[in-house]
Amino acid sequence: MAKIERSQKLFLKALKEKFQGQDVESETTEFYKFGGLKQSPRKMEFMKASRAIEMDRGISMYEPERCHLGGIPLGQRQLMTYEVSGTGVFVEGDDLHFVNNAAMQQFWDDIRRTVIVGMDLAHQTLQKRLGKEVTPETINEYLHVLNHAMPGAAVVQEHMVETHPGLVDDCYVKVFTGDDEMADDIEPQFLLNIEKLFPAKQAEALKAAVGKSMYQAIHIPTSVSRTCDGGTTSRWSAMQIGMSFIGAYRMCAGEAAVADLSYAAKHAGVIQMASHLPARRARGPNEPGGIMFGLFSDIIQTDRTHPHDPAKASLEVVGAGTMLFDQIWLGSYMSGGVGFTQYATAAYTDNILDEYTYYGMDYIKDKYNVDWKNPNPDDKVKPTQEVVNDIATEVNLNAMEQYEQFPTLMEDHFGGSQRAGVMAAACGLSTAIATGNSNAGLNGWYLSMLLHKDGWSRLGFFGYDLQDQCGSSNSLSMRPDEGAMGEVRGPNYPNYAMNVGHQGEYAAIVGSAHYSRGDAWSFNPLVKICFADPSLKFNFAEPRREFAKGAIREFMPAGERSLIIPAR
Amino acid sequence: MAYKPQYGPGTTQVAENRRKQMNPEYKLEKMRDITDEDVVLILGHRAPGSAYPTAHPPLAEQQEPDCPIRKIVAATEGAKAGDRVRYIQFADSMFNAPSQPYQRTYTECYRFRGIDPGTLSGRQIVECRERDLEKYSKELIETEMFDPARIGIRGATVHGHSLRLAEDGMMFDMLQRCVLGEDGVVRYVKDQIGEPLDRAVEVGKPLDENWLKAHSTIYHSLVGTAYRDDAEYVEYVQRIHSLRTKYGFMPKEE
Repeated sequence: MAKIERSQKLFLKALKEKFQGQDVESETTEFYKFGGLKQSPRKMEFMKASRAIEMDRGISMYEPERCHLGGIPLGQRQLMTYEVSGTGVFVEGDDLHFVNNAAMQQFWDDIRRTVIVGMDLAHQTLQKRLGKEVTPETINEYLHVLNHAMPGAAVVQEHMVETHPGLVDDCYVKVFTGDDEMADDIEPQFLLNIEKLFPAKQAEALKAAVGKSMYQAIHIPTSVSRTCDGGTTSRWSAMQIGMSFIGAYRMCAGEAAVADLSYAAKHAGVIQMASHLPARRARGPNEPGGIMFGLFSDIIQTDRTHPHDPAKASLEVVGAGTMLFDQIWLGSYMSGGVGFTQYATAAYTDNILDEYTYYGMDYIKDKYNVDWKNPNPDDKVKPTQEVVNDIATEVNLNAMEQYEQFPTLMEDHFGGSQRAGVMAAACGLSTAIATGNSNAGLNGWYLSMLLHKDGWSRLGFFGYDLQDQCGSSNSLSMRPDEGAMGEVRGPNYPNYAMNVGHQGEYAAIVGSAHYSRGDAWSFNPLVKICFADPSLKFNFAEPRREFAKGAIREFMPAGERSLIIPAR
Repeated sequence: MAYKPQYGPGTTQVAENRRKQMNPEYKLEKMRDITDEDVVLILGHRAPGSAYPTAHPPLAEQQEPDCPIRKIVAATEGAKAGDRVRYIQFADSMFNAPSQPYQRTYTECYRFRGIDPGTLSGRQIVECRERDLEKYSKELIETEMFDPARIGIRGATVHGHSLRLAEDGMMFDMLQRCVLGEDGVVRYVKDQIGEPLDRAVEVGKPLDENWLKAHSTIYHSLVGTAYRDDAEYVEYVQRIHSLRTKYGFMPKEE
């Protein structure tokens, strides 16, 4: 390892904006003079809103000047704004809590309400068992029926209640196939056109993986998956698929062949975004704890839109993953309470992780001749222990030194867990991008943790330290219940199940190994294609920009209810 | 061959300082005098002069089970008396505070008995029987393990370890439990949990920058010793990581 020169500091702009008029390299500052909450327009807005609510309902609510530390409110030091990394947009921390951010909610809604269902089994049933003809024309007609039925409309029954289209306008179904001829015959409104959505090399690989099969990318209404749960998605979709087949292909509603179609739609042909969890965590499919890291890195689409920047692609996965796994999954599903927002946001604000990661890119280019801007499998470095140790050590030492040289940077990431996650992520990403190996990246993560702990004699919170101090020993293990390839690890992997500040980064490390090789997907080509859909409410190619839009209240989500409630 | 602790690797002053603090045969330098009553006031667990509240009767007054471990391990004075388990918690500035969270834990494990330390990034807590705690706390505050400006005794709202210092050199404390007087002496005006004290407790003058740098146990490239400069230390951590990766927790040399 040897320090390399890098004059660009991506975090400087943010520091200068956050600490205006101050020397960002100074070791001293002033405290206790900022007027507490008054320095935050958002907190003042909260207080005003709360007063109105109290007048209305007669029950007290947000009273920070009375209830916080017996009369000492937040803001005894400077309350900082945050730049959402890679966007140039500055927001208040409160705006990055998922309750206050409609884009964050929609991000998770769009995953939870999605399943992919194969059509081959159903087509075989129709053709072989029922003697029906299946042609592009019948498929198009079926898709019209299905897009009528999926949001909640009747197709074969009489005197049925139906859902208001204005409330379920985010619900639709598209299809995709690797068969160009068949794709040409599908109405464009229903087609996920792999050729047009992906760079040529990725499209070729994806089409080869899909072959002549056809799949339905299904998104049920946001309101439905919110009112019910992720497990509802495949059930709702399967019911509407069954009714649509009956309607489109003039089947008998009660004949036994319908069971085959149902079985295919509910079980044999369905791909969930997440597997169900064991009883002690008690969640059905399509809930965050069951999303494998490889699959999550396929959901994020930045490697499709920015194929020559695997670092950016990975950083977008970090942002999306920490938001989902830390803020929503561990923060509220598991832990309860207001959650762990500031653990997560450290990894996708102020371009700090970005700076550390691009330092790693410079290092692997300089020392190992990895042409990271031209992803390919040929220049990847053999992942020996020596190589992992070298890359992770240098990237980690650089990150520590940046925190030390810029005291405002340390103040920005004021918690050890924030710094630990960010530094280890930079090490893991750099190692995975250099080697094209996800487990090597995870191993780099754990060396970072040990170096960090011994250098500063501290790491994260109690529980945080557990997995990171024993992670070296399982990061290359494949023994059941002890190890696995990074791609198939997930938030409920035994050693990963309890700690904030890890899972989004792990997902990114897994993805980065593939992005650096120029792979068209990390784990599941069908998921990669499904979330390339420009009709989705959330743009999965730019999650951090979408979160920033949510923070400044410019993101329009689904789940409309104003049609059915009194006007304000 | 009897195990001989090495107290960690490293060739720098930071590494040497760490070894000294951990090594119970090294006598920690006494830097200030704090009375027993003042320790009790800062801790805030009982009123000075009051009896120790108990969690169980004295061991001598209760039937002890026939337990081989109890025959091997002598009870501490607090355990013998049946004291409650209480705590002291420190926040250590990353700007050369003389002790740091893991360093504290390791040191306490080598020097004290009957303790339950907990280590975080911004604070380190140690819990034990109350009269043992007061004895240990006195040592932790009176010796070179402590600096009045860079270390805070904080039960809750510990925020400050990673922040810039105030212009007067004090570490940020939202509750301002201790203040630097015009005479240069730091006084605790609130106990560790933040309850106001009836009288201020003096903990002495802040140590100067040169002393802090010479006695620091944290690597810091801006205000002290760069971690990168201690090649032996870095290599040691890499070795531990490599051995664990290859052999789990039964490491052996190749």
